[in-house]
Amino acid sequence: MTVAAGIGYALVALGPSLALFVSVISKKPFLILTLLSSTLVWLISLIILSGIWRAFLPLNSATWWPFAILLFTSVAFQEGLRLLFWKVYKRLEDIMDAFADRVSKPRLYLTDKMQIALAGGLGHGVAHAVFFCLSLLTPAFGPATYFVDRCSQIPFFLVSAIIALAFVMVHTFSMVIAFNSYAEGNKVDQLFVPVVHLAAGMMTLINFASGGCIVGIPLLYLMAILTLMHCGRMVSRRLTENHRQGSS
Amino acid sequence: MAQNQRPTTFLDSFGEEIIRILTPVSICMFLVVLLVSILNSNSSASVTSIATIAYSETSSDSSWDKFLGALLNSLAFVAVVTVATFILVLLFYLRCTKFLKIYMGFSSFVVLGFMGGEIALFFIEEFSVPIDCISYLVVLFNFAVVGVLAVFMSKMAILVTQGYLVLIGMFVAYWFTLLPEWTTWVLLVVMALYDLAAVLLPVGPLRLLVELAMSRDEDIPALVYEARPVTHHDSGSGENTVRRRVWRERRNVRHDSEDNSNLDGNVVSDSNSTVVAVQHCHNGSIIARVEEGQVSEGNAELSAPLIDHRMNGQDGMSTESLVLEGMGLGSSGAIKLGLGDFIFYSVLVGRAAMYDFMTVYACYLAIVAGLGITLMLLAFYQKALPALPVSIALGVLFYFLTRFLLEVFIVQCSLNLVMF
Repeated sequence: MTVAAGIGYALVALGPSLALFVSVISKKPFLILTLLSSTLVWLISLIILSGIWRAFLPLNSATWWPFAILLFTSVAFQEGLRLLFWKVYKRLEDIMDAFADRVSKPRLYLTDKMQIALAGGLGHGVAHAVFFCLSLLTPAFGPATYFVDRCSQIPFFLVSAIIALAFVMVHTFSMVIAFNSYAEGNKVDQLFVPVVHLAAGMMTLINFASGGCIVGIPLLYLMAILTLMHCGRMVSRRLTENHRQGSS
Repeated sequence: MAQNQRPTTFLDSFGEEIIRILTPVSICMFLVVLLVSILNSNSSASVTSIATIAYSETSSDSSWDKFLGALLNSLAFVAVVTVATFILVLLFYLRCTKFLKIYMGFSSFVVLGFMGGEIALFFIEEFSVPIDCISYLVVLFNFAVVGVLAVFMSKMAILVTQGYLVLIGMFVAYWFTLLPEWTTWVLLVVMALYDLAAVLLPVGPLRLLVELAMSRDEDIPALVYEARPVTHHDSGSGENTVRRRVWRERRNVRHDSEDNSNLDGNVVSDSNSTVVAVQHCHNGSIIARVEEGQVSEGNAELSAPLIDHRMNGQDGMSTESLVLEGMGLGSSGAIKLGLGDFIFYSVLVGRAAMYDFMTVYACYLAIVAGLGITLMLLAFYQKALPALPVSIALGVLFYFLTRFLLEVFIVQCSLNLVMF
């Protein structure tokens, strides 16, 4: 529906990430590199998943349980990859600390580490938004629009943009929570991230029911807000602890 | 709060040079994708050039025929490129540098004037812009002349020079995307292999050129994009200096000028040297080639000798040979990337845009990853390395993986509003 609508949909999905990028990430070149490598890693995970599932596609879209299996395997795979990502990051952190010692500059502060985690999460969110939403937006720049049967009140592009926005929030802040919890060894939070990811994925299954998106999407946003709040609480707790330690 | 004034970590500027070379590459790719998606409706514009003399693709041929035809086309193109590169090496050996420089200027003028003019004509047709011949010609002529001056005279603002280089890359890349599909893909792969051979084999023309240039301490007349050098205001050393390193060494002391003397063959007489000289010369004396400066406490930086990569872009109008260098390091420590690399990356992404945007994003990430890997290899091996092969290989791989695997998966999930 014209260029304006197309750009509008793209900004609905990616607007907050763009704001985050411009305000936080573009200031430090290393964070831009982290963002790009994180996006690449999640793209590779999507390609591997599609490679595994290629033989079974196209799925019969009348039943929902093949999609449930697909979701479950995909989320499990991505969470495993997140663990791997953490291990690689840990090694990189050690190298960077050694480098900082050699050039006699201070080691990475807690805020630096959290910014790297944020960039990693933003990469995950951007990968999701770009591949699930933006790459399908090309027809939206044309003169017409497209509706899906199951969610026929609003155009398909808008629905996918809204869902993508929720997932961007979930992914971005999950990474911060995950990195913090792996660093602290906090088991509850380590479980929080995969559970929220799986729950968010399962919420989208509700979209299978006719008119289900009216229920499914607000629930999805509930997950996103939950992630945001939890991340905010965790970060403020860690920062105040750190500050208290530093100034004592 | 006392915490506000704590010293900044090295993370603030780590990796800045890489970003400074990534940004123009991304801009060039983005502009080519934009051009391709806007101007693509008249896809009947087929270009006859050296790259299609052996076979012109028609959609009714079988896959095998198309592949064979594309292979013949690409081999013919690479053969012409090899011959032209050897001629260039010969001319450089015979010290005809003036001639080469004039030829470079002429080819830039042709690219900016004729190719740019044709693309502008496409735009005018597409959007029915009301402009008359004479204004158009005057504007085009001025644009092209300023471009030639920017690229070959060193006194222009660095942004103008960089902008014109990106534009030249964009125009040539757009023209390459007008080639038929199979020919484009096979050409990309064959050019990557040629690049690998020409830079790494002992008889490769590019390697000969690099060795000649280094042994003579001269710069090669070439179209090369040099990123703005990173200047560090190091509070520790107390003075503003520019690090100048060619070989990777971690040094905390003033380095010798002897080590620097072979550094400099790569002074590309462009505005970068003037910027550098004006901004930060510690001991004030600006020596023409070698500048010494105190190395600020050792941030190990990427350094590598020049890598040459030549590309001869040809089209039906004239045989032009644009001499372009591959990846390397300028005398001021900034990363240099040859325009040929810009062009082929953009051709890959532009061709991916002709299919769908999902492939564009995937190929962009792949090319950036390839560039990063090449830079790391550069820092590791410290010799001339070709910038094309890794990126093109990854790009082509990701294109086909995305087109045949990812797209089906994503569309299936998205249309049912199932996402994760």
